[in-house]
Amino acid sequence: MKRYAYYLSCINESMTKEVDRSIDLWQKDLDIEMVKLHESTCCGGSNLDYVSPKHFALVNARNIALAEKLGLDLIVSCNTCLMTIRTAKKKLDESPELRREVNDILKKDGLVYKGTSNVRHLLWVLADDVGFEAIREKVRVPLKNYRIAPFYGCHILRPSAVLGKDDPLEPSSLDMLIEALGGTALPYEHKNRCCGFHTLLVAEEESLNVAAEALKEAIDIKADFIVTPCPLCHTVLDGYQAKALRQAGIHTSIPVFHLSEMVGLALGYSEKQLGIKRHIVS
Amino acid sequence: MKPFDIVIVGGGGAGLYAAMEAMKTNPALNIAVLSKVYPNRSHTSAAQGGANAALANKAKDDTVELHIFDTIKGSDYLADQDAVDILCSEAPKIIRELDNIGTPWSRLEDNTIAQRPFGGAGRPRCCYCADKTGHTILQTLYEQCLKKGVFFFNEYFALQLSLHDSRMKGLIAMNMKTGKIEAFPARTVLFATGGYAKMYWNRSSNAAGNTGDGQAIAYRAGIPLKDMEFVQFHPTGLRKSGLLVTEGARGEGGYLINALGERFMSRYAPEKMELGPRDLVSRSIETEILQGRGFDSPAGKYVHLDLTHLGADLIKSRLPQIREMSMYFEGVDPIDEPIPVRPTAHYSMGGIDTDNYGRTVMDGVYAAGECACVSVHGANRLGGNSLLDILVFGRIAGHTAAEEAGKFEPSPITADEIAATEARLRSYMQPSGHFERYGILREELGQTLGQNVGIYREASKIRKGVADLRELQERFTHVRVNDTSDVFNTNLMQVLELKNMLDLAETVAAGALAREESRGSHTRTDFPQRDDEKWHKHTIATIEGDRVKLGEKPVTMGRYELQERTY
Amino acid sequence: MTGAKEAHTEPKRDITLRVHRFNPQVDGKPYFDDYTIQVEKGITVLRALNYIKEHVDASVSFRAFCQAGICGSCGMRINGISKLACTTQVWDELDRCKEPGVIRIEPLRNMPLIKDLIVDMDPLVDKMKHYSNWVVSSMPESRMGKKEFLVSEEEFQKYDKATDCILCASCVSECTILRAHKEYVSPAILLKSYRMNVDSRDSIHDARLGELVKDHGVWDCTHCYRCQETCVKHIPIMDAIHGIREDALEVRGVKDSSGAKHAEAFMSDIEKKGKLVEATLPIRTNGMAWTLQNLLPMAMKMIMKRRTPPPPPLVKPAKGIKKFREMFREMTEHVRAEKKSHKK
Repeated sequence: MKRYAYYLSCINESMTKEVDRSIDLWQKDLDIEMVKLHESTCCGGSNLDYVSPKHFALVNARNIALAEKLGLDLIVSCNTCLMTIRTAKKKLDESPELRREVNDILKKDGLVYKGTSNVRHLLWVLADDVGFEAIREKVRVPLKNYRIAPFYGCHILRPSAVLGKDDPLEPSSLDMLIEALGGTALPYEHKNRCCGFHTLLVAEEESLNVAAEALKEAIDIKADFIVTPCPLCHTVLDGYQAKALRQAGIHTSIPVFHLSEMVGLALGYSEKQLGIKRHIVS
Repeated sequence: MKPFDIVIVGGGGAGLYAAMEAMKTNPALNIAVLSKVYPNRSHTSAAQGGANAALANKAKDDTVELHIFDTIKGSDYLADQDAVDILCSEAPKIIRELDNIGTPWSRLEDNTIAQRPFGGAGRPRCCYCADKTGHTILQTLYEQCLKKGVFFFNEYFALQLSLHDSRMKGLIAMNMKTGKIEAFPARTVLFATGGYAKMYWNRSSNAAGNTGDGQAIAYRAGIPLKDMEFVQFHPTGLRKSGLLVTEGARGEGGYLINALGERFMSRYAPEKMELGPRDLVSRSIETEILQGRGFDSPAGKYVHLDLTHLGADLIKSRLPQIREMSMYFEGVDPIDEPIPVRPTAHYSMGGIDTDNYGRTVMDGVYAAGECACVSVHGANRLGGNSLLDILVFGRIAGHTAAEEAGKFEPSPITADEIAATEARLRSYMQPSGHFERYGILREELGQTLGQNVGIYREASKIRKGVADLRELQERFTHVRVNDTSDVFNTNLMQVLELKNMLDLAETVAAGALAREESRGSHTRTDFPQRDDEKWHKHTIATIEGDRVKLGEKPVTMGRYELQERTY
Repeated sequence: MTGAKEAHTEPKRDITLRVHRFNPQVDGKPYFDDYTIQVEKGITVLRALNYIKEHVDASVSFRAFCQAGICGSCGMRINGISKLACTTQVWDELDRCKEPGVIRIEPLRNMPLIKDLIVDMDPLVDKMKHYSNWVVSSMPESRMGKKEFLVSEEEFQKYDKATDCILCASCVSECTILRAHKEYVSPAILLKSYRMNVDSRDSIHDARLGELVKDHGVWDCTHCYRCQETCVKHIPIMDAIHGIREDALEVRGVKDSSGAKHAEAFMSDIEKKGKLVEATLPIRTNGMAWTLQNLLPMAMKMIMKRRTPPPPPLVKPAKGIKKFREMFREMTEHVRAEKKSHKK
């Protein structure tokens, strides 16, 4: 049983609770254990970095330090949290002065940022630690009848200088996971594109155009569903789907699954158990 | 169309500085800049090194006078000394002005503009912005012209001057986006179209469009060209593209190797080896190739620039640009394999004959930059003086045109004239029995120039070149434009560019044949010495019928007497 | 030492360029032409295109000028990604083909198509003008040329990379938001604007910034990082965009625009709860009226699915929030002290 520190993303705590719920269900099946960090706080996105780079460094140094205290890697299942925390880690690792200033404060809570824990996405754990071979052996209900459009989202890929696992424009790990689970990963042009989430509240029309394009292609290539490793992408592609497609004049719909739900389905859990019923598009 | 006060042809450093200065001189003027590319694409952007100016930021004892002497000596005493005075005296002002309007110069520790040493200069006076000096100057000038509201006609291809009894009435050009032939009636026209070294085609480091359009238009309108035979070669151009591998590669310890595996520079410069002066290294490589010790390939003969012994670490840290270029343009990683190189035509010293204020012999027609020959470079240009030339004389020519525009009365360009031009261009598209491919002619042009009017010249070879050029001119009359569309017809544009290169190539060959001496970049194996008695003068090429007529002009001397040029 | 023999022969193979064609005078819509030619290793895509133009079909139209990666003319999409044809090796692209041996060549996106591979660059130039992408010198024209500004190496470093931009428009072509709205400022223009705004010689920083925070400006960037990832000059474009946003918050305050308010909401939520209070984020970003009009219909659906984020009182603070707040405030003190000493 390999253990990991698990970061609680705000969105998975509030709107997309099904993500953590499904991981809870199947983690033991894959011989991994996610130790939830209840002390972890919001990563702040890039927004906190604009307002105050120093607080940004402090908050995320603390998030990582919590994992370091347990001697575990920090696992994240939201793309933007991943990119954000890794960005902070890069800044901390590159600047001894910043590290010193932050650690001066952290030590008051018995914490220290050392830079020893890696920060990784759940998808990377499945791909690199568990391995596709092992996953293939554990599959109970192969997704063999499913044509699946893999939507990676941006912040698991780019900036590649911060992420660096997949090719930033031609990623493959999610495709390989789909194949390991017995499904068919469709060639999907929008797989490396943006969902529009981060401008939803400031430029809604533009954001929905962006989402509509990705949805439209998935519909056009006759995908049974879209799968995404990011709850923010899911929120747009599922939650805002009706509005986006209406704006684009398209009168059909397509289900969108979380990565964790897709794994759960193949491991034999029901839609109800996994929380798939909570989606807006059924 | 309302006549323009000034039509500037070319949007590189010279054209943009001219536009900026003209607007400054008289904001009420109606000024147009025509460019066959968006101005920020111009070849000024390719100049990496920098621009010389005796700011004395780096070497406190540097003076304008030292800069003047270096330039005159470098020119092999063919530069006009009053013009060099202007070039070097104006230099500090120009560099500061560029700083004042936002050019991102690199900086010294005291926050002043950075300067570094450059070939042929006695002091470190080359002002630079990393390795992108020309690029950043061009961007700055373009930005400032946009700010000032200069009227840009982008992607317009200049065709000809409109003349009435040899009085200039304006310019005729093709709008690439529509294919329409448009008239630009103008009081003054200023050519700033860059150099003509691309006539050596893939034996040239120049942009594809450095085809001497302005010089060819002026030449065909009867305006004299000066010192056309002087073309500077850089020793290490990439085999396939002619693009430059900068001297840094040899500076860091790269070897030049022939097909026998010899470090052949030991024959020519046993002490300095690969670090000998540019012209010597160029001639040495050329000799190896001519004597059959080069490598052979479909893209031509070449030698190796070998860096493999320097190791991956050094190449990655000190020569990243060179590595990138080799990989991009030759598909060769210098860490593993030697780079195929050969000398490449790099800069044209000759151009439209102007006075020190940018005026040509024709009223209302001006020229500046590499397109013009003032002359400040004489027989050989110093590194760091080309950017300076386009800036200083672009500015001066812009100022002159602005001051003098009022002197010339505009007259209309007739519809008949436009129709005749249209018909001429259309005729390229008419099917005829036998036709020639422009691409093949262009390659042959580069080949014959490289072989016969290249680094080593001698009477019999140049005569062969002259005959080849005549034949190419004849074959050109059979060239057909296969793309018959109006919109963005690059096929037609390239054919017209070829014609410009052919006409100018004849002036280069004629000058090379006449000049029976070796001076600067012009090396005659049959006349290996400089001959001041007979040839301390400029050659002047004018058109007569469809032939080159050569004349001459004295060199303006000043404080510096003729001396042997040794380093 | 490579022997003379090996250098003579370079591998050759047949490849196909599938080229986007469109002549507005005759074609109702674009189509593709396949050109199969033999190329040797080491040939760039641009040289292959030149070969086709010279020897196969002279009507294939594209821009190219310096052919050395500095002028930015030959931006096009090669196998789906925007890049320069002159710096792209055919042999590298062969590994990226969807159909073996077939390289797709298409025009840049997000700009009006003129012909074949040529797009209209004028909209970009218009935006350069709109956002004053030039230095307005703090020195009067009459005094220019006499004295140089003193500029620190530190300042030069701020705009060094940004001035590498050759306006090839690859980033423009790849931009997510520009694709969704043509009015969007676009990455290259943001980069240039940033470069001008960090230049101490410039005098219109505030006016330029004022334009950048308006609609279709800097806050519309969706952070997809495609511009940066495809930049042919490897410029960290997003750093410039972040730089403008930081500057906007600093200079114009946190109540200035919806983007600024959105950013500020993160700061205050984290300080209070260590968690984001998503339920009220729309209201704090765009106000109550906007939220009711835009989000109410969706909220109903979400309530039915129990997907609504909890209201502020029910957002559970992170464990150990007390200590966290103390640390957060301590950092606030640091920042305040630093600013003070900076001002001195």
